[in-house]
Amino acid sequence: MVTWEQFIYFAIAAVLLWAVGAWAAWREKAAMAYTSTIAGLVVFFSFILMMWISLERPPLRTMGETRLWYSFFLPLAGIIVYSRWRYKWILSFSTVLALVFVCVNLFKPEIHSKALMPALQSPWFAPHVIVYMFAYAVFGVATLMALFLLFWPHKLGGHKGLNRGMSGDCSDPQPPNLRGLDDLVYVGLAFMTFGMLFGALWAKEAWGHYWSWDPKETWAAITWFAYLIYVHYRQIPTHKPKLALWVLLISFVLLQMCWWGINYLPSAQQTSVHTYSS
Amino acid sequence: MKEGFLIGGGLIIAGLILELCVGPVVWTVFSWPVNGIVLAGFLTVIVGMFLLRKRVFAFRFIGTRQAAIPTLVYAVILTIVMGLTRQKSLTPGSSLMGEGSLWINYMLNFWPFVLIYVYMAVILGVVVLKRFSKPRWYRSTHDIAFLLNHLGLFLAMTTATLGNADMQRLKMITVEGEAEWRAMTQEGTLREMPLTIELKRFIMETYDDGSPKRFASELQIQTESGRSIRATVDVNKPVEVDGWKIYQYGYDTQMGAMSKISILELVSDPWLPLVYTGIYMMLGGAVCMFIFGGRKKIVNPQSSDSK
Repeated sequence: MVTWEQFIYFAIAAVLLWAVGAWAAWREKAAMAYTSTIAGLVVFFSFILMMWISLERPPLRTMGETRLWYSFFLPLAGIIVYSRWRYKWILSFSTVLALVFVCVNLFKPEIHSKALMPALQSPWFAPHVIVYMFAYAVFGVATLMALFLLFWPHKLGGHKGLNRGMSGDCSDPQPPNLRGLDDLVYVGLAFMTFGMLFGALWAKEAWGHYWSWDPKETWAAITWFAYLIYVHYRQIPTHKPKLALWVLLISFVLLQMCWWGINYLPSAQQTSVHTYSS
Repeated sequence: MKEGFLIGGGLIIAGLILELCVGPVVWTVFSWPVNGIVLAGFLTVIVGMFLLRKRVFAFRFIGTRQAAIPTLVYAVILTIVMGLTRQKSLTPGSSLMGEGSLWINYMLNFWPFVLIYVYMAVILGVVVLKRFSKPRWYRSTHDIAFLLNHLGLFLAMTTATLGNADMQRLKMITVEGEAEWRAMTQEGTLREMPLTIELKRFIMETYDDGSPKRFASELQIQTESGRSIRATVDVNKPVEVDGWKIYQYGYDTQMGAMSKISILELVSDPWLPLVYTGIYMMLGGAVCMFIFGGRKKIVNPQSSDSK
């Protein structure tokens, strides 16, 4: 029977493996980076899986449980980005971010009960939340990239290989080239769209309507539109790259509102059907 | 992009004036056939704008990103206002607002909000027609993804909004062993339904700690055509009969598991297939977005990121 008590052992093992993977990426040992990161993912996922079995429901209900998935998806997003563009720093980023969420779960554990209320017993539950968590993780990585490009671009440009794939085209008049970032945003946006529409299809089965402007839905729409602004703005040839990066940062702030901010929003109290944990 | 912000700002001002003159948007007037006529008119306007785009600058502008981005910015701002304030619904069938309420507490009926979203739909419509008129669009995965995303959103948004007035949601209180054919509308009046429902048994199961595990109703349903159906309705598992989806809605909370009554919700939404077509198109668009990315792949041997 796996409980949160055992989380620390799995967490330490996984984070160590991810850290080794991040280190290997800096040393250009790609094979080791893959092996170690994936091993960490396997360790971490086995905890999620065992929690799933012992809770007799998918561990997706409480904020603590969704943080579990988030910590899992960050290194996963990291390794996917690494495999495509070979950024040396990406695995360090994703590991640090995952560590933050692991620590939150270690130091602020929430009491988790077995009970899964009838409204959440649906085949849509797992895909809806997991897909959203993956999108959030990808956007988290994209936000970190944007922060670096905005405030420490010389660091990215100065280190050999760091900017590989980011400004491959030397004739590009707008350094730094944000293409790598765009790819990440498109992946995030695709998954966010899945999450939102799965939610709509589920809502029809659970509540009788696919879109009710529930506070969570309202903020999901806001976040979705915000990322659409970035995507469209980047396609204007005369755009200002710095402004585009700011749009991305603001979008991520709005995403926080959608994810957990509304739990503290007076206007959403008692009106949102999405506040299950209370 | 300045023009785009000006147009959006103009729409918001026009919306405020409308709000002052005619009051909030009353969606219930859009019930069939009004919504059908409005949709036809709306599509005609969009096609007209598309056809005249070479002659009228404003119509040409509508099909650009410079028009889309400011509109999205306005939509984000207005929707944030909506997200930060407590939202209420108008008294059914009227334009009356509750006492002490502001316009922004009725965002869905607030003209500036409605006009910005309508304008967004116009942009989507024009942009879709523009892309369809591109030669051999069907041969490019990029164009197909574009059309799935934009046409899907256009379809889902427009039909969901216009179809809302035709959506019926009624509560039916069923008592064990008794046939019921009347249900309560959202306005609070009783209506006779084309279905007769008899509650055979209400089921409530709890976890060890007493929290609810399952609510369900075993029903015997008779249709107007004389069909008789035995069905169990669970939370998350509605049953569909003759265009009506039947949901488990409530029970006698005083009696708990011993409840002899079950409250059902009956929902009919004739526009649903159109909305779902839009949603499925967007899902397809998202798959394309994930696989191909959003931008066109530029073939440039010098560039390492255009593989």
